[in-house]
Amino acid sequence: MLPHFSYIRPETGSEAMSQLSDPESFVLAGGTDLLGCLRERIFPVRKLVSINGLAQFHGITETEDGGVRIGALTTITEVETHPLIQNRFPGLARGASEVASPQLRNQGTIGGNLCQKPRCWYYRGEFDCLRKGGSQCFAAEGQNQFHCIFGGDGICFIVHPSDTAPPLIALNASAVIAGPKGKKRQVPLEKFHVLPADDLHKETVLNPDEMVTEILIPPPPPRTRSTYRKVRARRAWDFSLAGVALAVHIEDNKVVNSRVVLSGAAPVPWRSKAVEDVIQDRELNSKTIADAAQAVVEGAEPLEHNQYKLPLFQGVMEEELLALTNQA
Amino acid sequence: MKNDSVYYLKDITAPETPEPGENPSPWTNTTIIGKRLPRVDAYERTSGSALYPSDLLLPNMVYGAVLRCPHPHARVKRVNTRPAEGIKGVLTIITGTTPEADVWWRNEDGYRSKLFDPHCHYEGEAVAAVAALDPYTAQDAVKVIQVEYEVLPYIIDEERALDSDAPRVHPKGNLVDTESYERGDVDQGFAQADVVRERPFHTRCEIHTPMELHGCVAEWKGDTLTLHESTQGVYAVQAKVAEALRLPLSRVRVSGRYMGGGFGSKLKAGKYTVISAILARKTARPVKLVLTREETYLAVGNRPSSHMTLKAGVKKDGTLTALQFTCTGTGGAYPAGGVALVDWLIRDLYTCPSVKTECRDVFINAGPARPFRAPGHPQGSWALEQMMDELAEALHMDPVDLRLKNIPTVSQGRTGQPAYTSTGLKECIESGAQSFGWKAARQRNKSSNTGTLRRGVGMGGCVWFVGGGGPPSTIIVKLFKDGSVNLNMGASDIGTGTKTIMAMVVAEELGVKLKNIQIENADTGTTQYATPSGGSKTVPTESPAVRNAAIHIKQKLMEMAAEELDCDFEDLEFEGDEIIVSSRKEQRIKITDIPKLKKQGVIVGVGYRGPNPENKSVNPFGAQFCEVEVNTRTGEVRILRFLGAHDSGRVMNRLTYDNQVFGGITMGIGFALTEFRVLDTGQTGKMVNRNWHDYKLPTALDVPADMKSLPIELDDPEANNTGAKGLGEPVTIPTAAAIANAIYDATGIRITETPAFVPHLITRLNDLAKEG
Repeated sequence: MLPHFSYIRPETGSEAMSQLSDPESFVLAGGTDLLGCLRERIFPVRKLVSINGLAQFHGITETEDGGVRIGALTTITEVETHPLIQNRFPGLARGASEVASPQLRNQGTIGGNLCQKPRCWYYRGEFDCLRKGGSQCFAAEGQNQFHCIFGGDGICFIVHPSDTAPPLIALNASAVIAGPKGKKRQVPLEKFHVLPADDLHKETVLNPDEMVTEILIPPPPPRTRSTYRKVRARRAWDFSLAGVALAVHIEDNKVVNSRVVLSGAAPVPWRSKAVEDVIQDRELNSKTIADAAQAVVEGAEPLEHNQYKLPLFQGVMEEELLALTNQA
Repeated sequence: MKNDSVYYLKDITAPETPEPGENPSPWTNTTIIGKRLPRVDAYERTSGSALYPSDLLLPNMVYGAVLRCPHPHARVKRVNTRPAEGIKGVLTIITGTTPEADVWWRNEDGYRSKLFDPHCHYEGEAVAAVAALDPYTAQDAVKVIQVEYEVLPYIIDEERALDSDAPRVHPKGNLVDTESYERGDVDQGFAQADVVRERPFHTRCEIHTPMELHGCVAEWKGDTLTLHESTQGVYAVQAKVAEALRLPLSRVRVSGRYMGGGFGSKLKAGKYTVISAILARKTARPVKLVLTREETYLAVGNRPSSHMTLKAGVKKDGTLTALQFTCTGTGGAYPAGGVALVDWLIRDLYTCPSVKTECRDVFINAGPARPFRAPGHPQGSWALEQMMDELAEALHMDPVDLRLKNIPTVSQGRTGQPAYTSTGLKECIESGAQSFGWKAARQRNKSSNTGTLRRGVGMGGCVWFVGGGGPPSTIIVKLFKDGSVNLNMGASDIGTGTKTIMAMVVAEELGVKLKNIQIENADTGTTQYATPSGGSKTVPTESPAVRNAAIHIKQKLMEMAAEELDCDFEDLEFEGDEIIVSSRKEQRIKITDIPKLKKQGVIVGVGYRGPNPENKSVNPFGAQFCEVEVNTRTGEVRILRFLGAHDSGRVMNRLTYDNQVFGGITMGIGFALTEFRVLDTGQTGKMVNRNWHDYKLPTALDVPADMKSLPIELDDPEANNTGAKGLGEPVTIPTAAAIANAIYDATGIRITETPAFVPHLITRLNDLAKEG
């Protein structure tokens, strides 16, 4: 069933990094996504490097500037329930709570959640699709009801499956990435995921010999509210049909700053600058909200079977902005 | 004095024992039947000690796997097994050219094919199989077998299957059959109507997804084959396998004491059963072959999709005048009841003098259907119950009142229109509506539905086509000399609690404690012939025979006691753990003290299922009510509460009864809101959502915590001697339609195509908003 692979469980970070130099090696954290990919033989795997022995990549701590550091191995449940996250970044806690099912949240990690492979049924199925090195994107003309409306660029129409990435991006978080020979780099999560037009064969900027070690969330500006709302076909264990993460800073009833990120919309968590621009410096009244709902689907390129996502995103955007004003 | 005898509970009066040859009258009072009792095998099932076929490990057992055709229509030109032969641990490979596997497989209606037929009519058809030392090697080996296919044009769209340019699934063409029914004169009926409505309805293909996968363990001992199969009917599996392998029935033993659900998809053997038997013979070792979940999505059944049109006429006072119904459906690549019973509710549920139906069953290149919990009924209900609501609205009538206006007492759809032995349809609707608070909820929602979260209520009624059971059934009950009991029956307990209910029948008659009853069931080698557990007939079929067997034991006991006490049979009665002489109460004998019982060690009681009443129809009825909340901004539907009021005659065990009601509603929620097969139309023709993530079963959060089961328990002495009717299927019939009606009540949007989920609803809500 599974391909033959070697399994290594390093005890130090540097050992883990050196093991990753093999191009067909993969990081194993919670394994909730990777094991399925192995079973379906979505991509070749020669070596699994389990990082579960590396305690330093686990846990949630407050940083000196009032932000938060989340180790990549921290489980989704821990993110969902940690008081620091719940109090300071409720949008992220909400996003984590919307992931999959309790069992999967207990097992899955935040690092893994950001690095998920696409859930497109052609990609996961017995189809020699473009992203897997084939000659055709089957979703383009096929059963594309759960596919993207932005960013497919006529190439590949996956949606990014993460529910934690949109709130993290809304909160301006970044990923700390470890590379070979002790190299480290920090990448804003907004620039972490890769569109098909930029590279069809990868979903993140990670090189094969790199891995995410932690997530950094800067301290939220005062009076910033973060939320996440997800609509799906069933109420648990399901990916987003349409979701919206908001981090909105309101002063004197006006939007001073906002970051709006969509799930279920694009091959990457999709930052909706159009909505941000529309609500900038405005009061969140019904006119603004209606304009935002129009803006959220601006430039969308729906496929044959996913046109419903246009009114759906409009509805979700309207509901979420309205909920913000009701909180005020 | 402490009663340490195994036999007889204290304070239990055993029902009167009829004389030999006399039929027992229905119970008047019961002490055990009807109680809320946990399953007799609850500990085994929950602790994991119950041995399901998938759990079985036999000495030297090896594992099978099946290679399946990846195309919806193809011809196998060449199979190269060499790459698989080289894998360590592979023991044997069988293909269409293996002599031992050159076996005919009989489909319905004379459509024969080979076990490994070179002409593959659907994705998932078996092409070859492997036995290997472990299941992983077997799967790996299957993957490296090279098959050269001639890929053929295919048709997967049932609405286009009869087009002249449609590729042919079989040489005779794509029409399986057209079934027609007519009574009265619909044209006249529509002319008499004050309101006539017509509307198309569509339901999508739903897949059985039992917890335990399809599969079996095959083992040869000499020339005798033993199969441990996850099945609803061991005798049905025995017959199919014996036919395929040309063996006498006596040399095929099938056992399936535990099985993890079937919902109709395990009523008979699969090709996998025969394949495992052949692999076991070739390897001379037991072979376990359990399909993968993906395989079960393709090859072992589904509920056919349906494209229906229903036209209905009604008078101002709510009297139905005519119903006209057409349906196109498909059972896939072989005849498999693609439109079976889809029109039954239109024919039978509500009083209507003129009815005309025409159902066309067509072939497509997709996996064959198998009966799925109330075949045809939820589909027909989806159309009929929505249409009833539409008529009620046009008449400004309450939907409940419209239905109550049209309650039949005879089975109109049957030849000769026989009366039902009992019908609780009216009581189900009336008491259900009252218990649900129907009128108040309608009023409340009407006045408060102004925001973006809209509430609505909906309901639907139902009858199930059969559900009365009937012969044959033979039951053997053994009473040991200490008073403990062995119950021997052929029927499978498919998860509904059959074993528990039958033990309760024995306990009721003999007064013996449940824990002192050992049950031997579902094994062709050791138990009597039984028809498969399906059709909601297991309780009404088996329980009367069990009761007869228990009574037979009592009769024998009394005959022994009469001899011992030197009196007449008629003068004896049971009292506690003793038999007493009615006229001389001081004369009594403890059952376990009867010398003849002590000497022979056991009394064998045999019970048969008697015939059903002539010229009468035995059917269960029901009505379900629900309240939903629709988010008009997003199209999300939340089910707030459900109530199932079901007339299934006598409630045998209230706990398993409620379980059936809740389970049926849950399954109906899946049919209504989340489940549908997706085929890659226009491209590969393959099924794209063949796993538990992409094929969405409802989760605990999709099912309301507020679910109520309201038994409408009517006496039905004519049905059979326990008065029980079937329950497992009616409970899922009106669920989806009730939800659709509630969505309409909440939003004014009629969802005529399943599933009623966000993509459909948001589109309609958006259109509605645009219209203003």
